[in-house]
Amino acid sequence: MKFYLLIHILFCLIILSFNVKAQNQIVADLSQENVEISTDFLGAKILLFGAYDGRKGDDIIVVVTGPKGLATIQKKGNILGVWVNTKKVNYINAPKYLSISSNRDIDKILNQKTQKISEIGLNNLNVRIQPGKPINNEQEWREALTRNMLKSKLWSVNENSVSLIKNSLFRSYLSLPSNVTTGKFEVKILHYRNSKLISKETSNINVSKSGFSAEIYNIAQNYSTLYGILAVLLAVFIGWGTNLVFRKV
Amino acid sequence: MYYHNQTNNYENLMYIYLPIAEQPIHSLVIIVVGLIIGFIMGLVGVGGGFLLTPIMMFLGIPPPVAVASVANQLVAPSVSGVLSHWKRGNVDFKMGTVLLLGGVLGSSIGVILFNFLDKIGQLDLVIKLSYVIFLSLIGSMMFSESLRLILRKRKGKISRGKLHQHNWLHGLPFKTRFRKSKLYISVLLPILIGVIVGVLAAIMGIGGGFIIVPAMIYLLGMPTSLVVGTSLFQIIFVAANTTVLQASQNQTVDIVLATLLLLGSVAGVQIGAKFTNVLKGEHLRLILSTIIILVSLKIFTELITIPSDLFSIVIRR
Repeated sequence: MKFYLLIHILFCLIILSFNVKAQNQIVADLSQENVEISTDFLGAKILLFGAYDGRKGDDIIVVVTGPKGLATIQKKGNILGVWVNTKKVNYINAPKYLSISSNRDIDKILNQKTQKISEIGLNNLNVRIQPGKPINNEQEWREALTRNMLKSKLWSVNENSVSLIKNSLFRSYLSLPSNVTTGKFEVKILHYRNSKLISKETSNINVSKSGFSAEIYNIAQNYSTLYGILAVLLAVFIGWGTNLVFRKV
Repeated sequence: MYYHNQTNNYENLMYIYLPIAEQPIHSLVIIVVGLIIGFIMGLVGVGGGFLLTPIMMFLGIPPPVAVASVANQLVAPSVSGVLSHWKRGNVDFKMGTVLLLGGVLGSSIGVILFNFLDKIGQLDLVIKLSYVIFLSLIGSMMFSESLRLILRKRKGKISRGKLHQHNWLHGLPFKTRFRKSKLYISVLLPILIGVIVGVLAAIMGIGGGFIIVPAMIYLLGMPTSLVVGTSLFQIIFVAANTTVLQASQNQTVDIVLATLLLLGSVAGVQIGAKFTNVLKGEHLRLILSTIIILVSLKIFTELITIPSDLFSIVIRR
């Protein structure tokens, strides 16, 4: 039995590497395609691995982008000695998760201009400001977005975190923090040779709430009044129950 | 190697993911906090929410979720407390009902206000400012009164104040007789007190005991023995109303957080109540008022020191 399994894996690998060589492809897989946020969720670490048709000096960059949505940046000002939110800017399509991983410093792989064109790097993302009042000092707000997202660990840059093996296999760990949002996460694997994109491959990670935690969330969202009444009743019963218990003690 | 197991040690097992706050939290920490707060509640009669909500915020729970969930948890110790007081005949249900009518109205207004403040991005500020103002006021009042009492007892003189004073408040219309409390006053007064406490309860995530108890004693002139039981009675309804409205309007009630808290607090209340005869009331209030003043100072310093980053982020779902 074991022998057949070994033969099977060997056979797959041969075909795999043959295909990779022939079509200049990337073949990749994830240790986990579905991440479930259940009651014991503390974040997830996912292994991304695969094969590529590489030569010495080739580079791999992995970009994982989460669902996009509204992110509001607020700026505090001092009013009568108290620090108060006085200004705000809405970014309408900010990724709620972003991780950029590479096998070495991205600046060494691509020059600034190429990074900008291919939208690689935290400052090269195409995030739009909600149309409305004109904003002076747009750069300052954009930096605040990046800084705060990095601080919340929802955005990250992990240079030197992709391991390359014999110019044909790559491996990288993707970590999702415990405050990650749900939705579809796109995993883009980019293969560069002398700063030129040779091939790319995309796959997806689906993050969803599951189990008890998901049910509570769904009830709270969809039957919110009923949820509130249930929350009150639960508290009433526990309060009443302890009174009974302690009266007997 | 392929599969990274997240619950591979005992420490991690204590963490529980809060479905509404959307973050994991150490369950034991929350239960112990509930226990301590419940103990204080049982001992002094007031003081659950106004310490609990700031502690939840210090632990990193988003203020809107902290406020709404603490309101939810308050229902349990209040029910438990009212049942004990009721048995001893220490609840004026008529006064309680009038107060809660105002309270329900006030907390409904409070939730609407809460929503509005959240929309314009000033909710955190208003919650924190209300805490600073009310905690420092109540804290210093409690501190000076208990200190005065301790000093007076040391001198050996015990003087009694007037039972209640007559002032313009007694000239208001719709006078009603509250037999249990031996009062003949206008219903407008307790309703107004209820409304004010209700608004604050909804915004600050408190029962309002620390405001309503002095108001009942000094403004209404109710007998002290009835005050705690009656205020707990009305707190049940104000907290319940706030919970249902927060849940339906803002979806900010975290039932898991509230349940963890109340498991600790209901037990704490009972334990605290058993200690009331052991510890002296005025010494207790002196300690509690010191804690209150320190908490308000902590929040106040947060508001006036330059933030390390002037910019902050809010990510909408």
